[in-house]
Amino acid sequence: MSYLDTPRLHFTGQFQADVSTINNEVTLYDINTFRPEDQTLTTDGTRGGWNPEGTGIFRLIGCRVTGARLGDRQITTWQEDAVIGTALENADDRVFGKLVDLDPQQQMVSEIWGMRLRLTDGSTRALFAGDFRPAAFTNLWRRQQRAVFLDQTLAAVFQSVLEGVSWDLDSAAGEGNARSAVLEALRQASAEGRLSININVYGYGRDPAIPRYTLGRVAGTIGPYLAGEPRHFVLGRQMVSGTPAASPVAPYGGVYSFQCKVHEDRRVVTADFGNCLPIRDASGAFDPNTSPPLTLAVLKAESSSLLSTVAADDVAVLGELNYLRRGWYAATAGVQDFDYSADSWCVSHITTRPLALLTPLAADNSSYAVLVSETLGGWYARADGFVARLEPGAMAPFDVYATRYGKPVSTLVKFSSNLGPMGGPPPEPEVGTPAAAIAYPAELKTDAQGKTVLCVTARADGPGNPRGYIDGQLYGIGYQPAEQSAQAFVNFWNLISILAFDRFEVPTQPTWNAHVRPILQQYGNLYPIMSKHLVALGDYSSVVTHLDILKLAFAQPLEDPNHMPVTRDLSAGKRAMILRWMEQRGPDGLPLRGDLGPPGAAVAAAERAAVVVDLDPMQRRSKTEALLKFAARRAGEEAR
Amino acid sequence: MIKLQRSVLNAVEAAKDRTELYPWLQKAIELEHSTIPPYLAALFSLKPGANDEIARLIRSIVIEEMLHLTIASNILIAIGGRPQINSSSFIPQYPGPLPMAIGGAGFTVGIEPFSKPLVQNVFMVIEEPEHPIPVQVLARAEVPDFATIGEFYSALKAKLAQFGDAIFTVAPDQQVLQWFPASVLFPITSVTSASNGIDIIVDQGEGTSTDPFQSPGNPAHFYKFGEIFYGRRIVQTATGFAYAGAPVAFDPAGVYPMMPNPKIHYFEAGTQARTRMVAFSYAYSSLLNALHAAFNGRPGQINTAISLMYELRLIAVSLMQTPVGDGSNLTAGPSYEYIDAVQAAIA
Repeated sequence: MSYLDTPRLHFTGQFQADVSTINNEVTLYDINTFRPEDQTLTTDGTRGGWNPEGTGIFRLIGCRVTGARLGDRQITTWQEDAVIGTALENADDRVFGKLVDLDPQQQMVSEIWGMRLRLTDGSTRALFAGDFRPAAFTNLWRRQQRAVFLDQTLAAVFQSVLEGVSWDLDSAAGEGNARSAVLEALRQASAEGRLSININVYGYGRDPAIPRYTLGRVAGTIGPYLAGEPRHFVLGRQMVSGTPAASPVAPYGGVYSFQCKVHEDRRVVTADFGNCLPIRDASGAFDPNTSPPLTLAVLKAESSSLLSTVAADDVAVLGELNYLRRGWYAATAGVQDFDYSADSWCVSHITTRPLALLTPLAADNSSYAVLVSETLGGWYARADGFVARLEPGAMAPFDVYATRYGKPVSTLVKFSSNLGPMGGPPPEPEVGTPAAAIAYPAELKTDAQGKTVLCVTARADGPGNPRGYIDGQLYGIGYQPAEQSAQAFVNFWNLISILAFDRFEVPTQPTWNAHVRPILQQYGNLYPIMSKHLVALGDYSSVVTHLDILKLAFAQPLEDPNHMPVTRDLSAGKRAMILRWMEQRGPDGLPLRGDLGPPGAAVAAAERAAVVVDLDPMQRRSKTEALLKFAARRAGEEAR
Repeated sequence: MIKLQRSVLNAVEAAKDRTELYPWLQKAIELEHSTIPPYLAALFSLKPGANDEIARLIRSIVIEEMLHLTIASNILIAIGGRPQINSSSFIPQYPGPLPMAIGGAGFTVGIEPFSKPLVQNVFMVIEEPEHPIPVQVLARAEVPDFATIGEFYSALKAKLAQFGDAIFTVAPDQQVLQWFPASVLFPITSVTSASNGIDIIVDQGEGTSTDPFQSPGNPAHFYKFGEIFYGRRIVQTATGFAYAGAPVAFDPAGVYPMMPNPKIHYFEAGTQARTRMVAFSYAYSSLLNALHAAFNGRPGQINTAISLMYELRLIAVSLMQTPVGDGSNLTAGPSYEYIDAVQAAIA
């Protein structure tokens, strides 16, 4: 079960991602070259970027349930079911969730941490509430076609699970309040306290001068979830768009990758178009002038190569997409059901032939262009969770699934280094080196349930501080079913991102000057919201004045919304060191100050070499910059 | 100056059993809370790097008000009551009177940016002791002859003593005892410990009748605000006390021009000001919810509440820099509106 089953509810609204921008530039992690002006708000791509005092807060704003599906019934009004109009809200008894990059050199797997959501109807505090299992977004692509200054035109999708779900449907069912059949059914379908949740994000504004500053739009779906299933993707049909090697965010067909689920029992295909269709602008509207009719279909024959066009006779049409109908996106979050029970060919072949998204080439629908199709041969592999922070000597397990036409399959999956979008040209530090700092098998065979566990281990002495002024090293692991043809498009984002921390020996008597200050100074530089307004993190007396709250925050587990650092990029060793330093007191009753380091250790600020890629101001300090650096690297690789 | 309706004292004195003290201890909790939003707004309006000494003084007062709220709650818990914290009625209307009409008819407290007139005309009035000690520079002759906060707490103390130790029936594991030294935050288990707790509330706020300092170097609230207003630390002189110590500098340019008494509904949906004000009030409401949980059987939730206090401070940073958008130079500010489930669903 997943959000592509029923019952499900769809919500739309806004989100705020008050991310901080100084940490988008890796060179600003160097405390020896950091300048106070690097904390200045700028919109020209220099210094602190467009939100240097960001708090990291991620929260939903004004999200309402605007549609639901119960069996074969689409529900859009309150009269049909009381779930319509209820509000999907943040927790109301703890701090907001946070949006966190893995690393300045891997900003393409931003994760939501510490978010708890609740559904409220205005009289019941939480019809249900649950903890959003931390998850990174994926399928990042240039969905928004027109932009105002500084708009983030990339869109993406988070899929995860709400855990520890509690229900309170009874107090709402009082006088005058209709009971929601959708919620009742959802509760029964999710007996294990979990729900599947999918959140499409788009239309994010970054210009401090506009009302949408730090705000974007969401459209999402919540459905049932059962234990043992993948949490971050649907074990179903995977449609993978072709993209140029140097530009993974600009699909050839103009439509991005998406997933479907074939419900053989009900003879229904449920497809999620929530993040794959281009939108005109930040409002999320589809542009009727440039939006062609779209058709979901089954290709009648397997092909050994990807097709760009097909004749009408070669496909079984499942149906037209309703995306240009008024209110469709809000009512469905882009999820559409296609009933194929009347088509006997489909009934007998849909599980063994590729699905494709088509647009007619001629008015008589005699032929179609193929915009996106299922992976070649139906082969697909996917690491469920795909982001990890790895301590020296530790192991990170990744559930990896292999499917063929959406069905679990026992097959060989190959693993190899794939840095994807990570890193950038000098003066950025090199990523992925030394390769030997992490280890994992080159191939694994999935079991009959299509599953295997990839265990990635970090060597005990860590990567050895290869990046100097920033802790640890980034690694990427790509994967592919061995059976998959070399011609197949592989989803660019299907890779595992790992931040392997440096080894850090916790000293028996850590001191401020020798150990603590260099770490806290870096956070102080990068997060002036903390250092200017709460605790001057580079200042001994300020830090010791706030020891109690700092101790509380540093001691929280990673999952806790109060965890410090918000960025979750401090290794366990360094965190233990800081906590030990806070505990140990000198003769003055305060934590040890220690000797200053050798004089001259601080390197004078070096002129930063210009980045290799040519950026206009709007593109700097952002995911766009990372993508352009990626494109430049690809071009360099091809030139070699 | 600090007027309190005499009827309040009469009601406390007329209490026949401990349950008749519950509403008055609840009022005490509301009173101790009621000053925190205005003090915090003034604190948050100070720009970083400017007016740091003033910020430090206000912050120290706010933290003690939080202690007082905690002590009052623990006393209520100890005698079997339940603090009620998570509702809109817990929060005073700003601008408006304080709980129990403290300060007298016509005395209103609002949410305003820091200014010296605010300190003198509002904060020093709130904190004025029952018997102010003449401090040089100040010319104060008459001593008020009406009920005061000090008398209110004295009446509570007298009643608790009259009812005796037997009314302290609830174990201290229900009380919030973290985050402050045990010398000021201790389990309330008896008349003595409750009286000691009340003395801390009164002494930190007012000082004693003979000494403006609650402890060496640490003046009571009234005198700290005096230091801010007169721009000098208070010191003992040959003849008494004077605001003649180290300067407490004030840079008027170091204050965000916050709109006084902002309300969410003043701003259109979708504006930055409204979005940020809602975020602040949402987090503030979450804080009251967490405090309510902490004072109603889940003392561990105080850590969550503390984290929310810090998050409020962070949210206030951008709030205080967001123009209200009416062409003036004013910025938005915290409105401290309780956002409950109903409001959340219709906001």
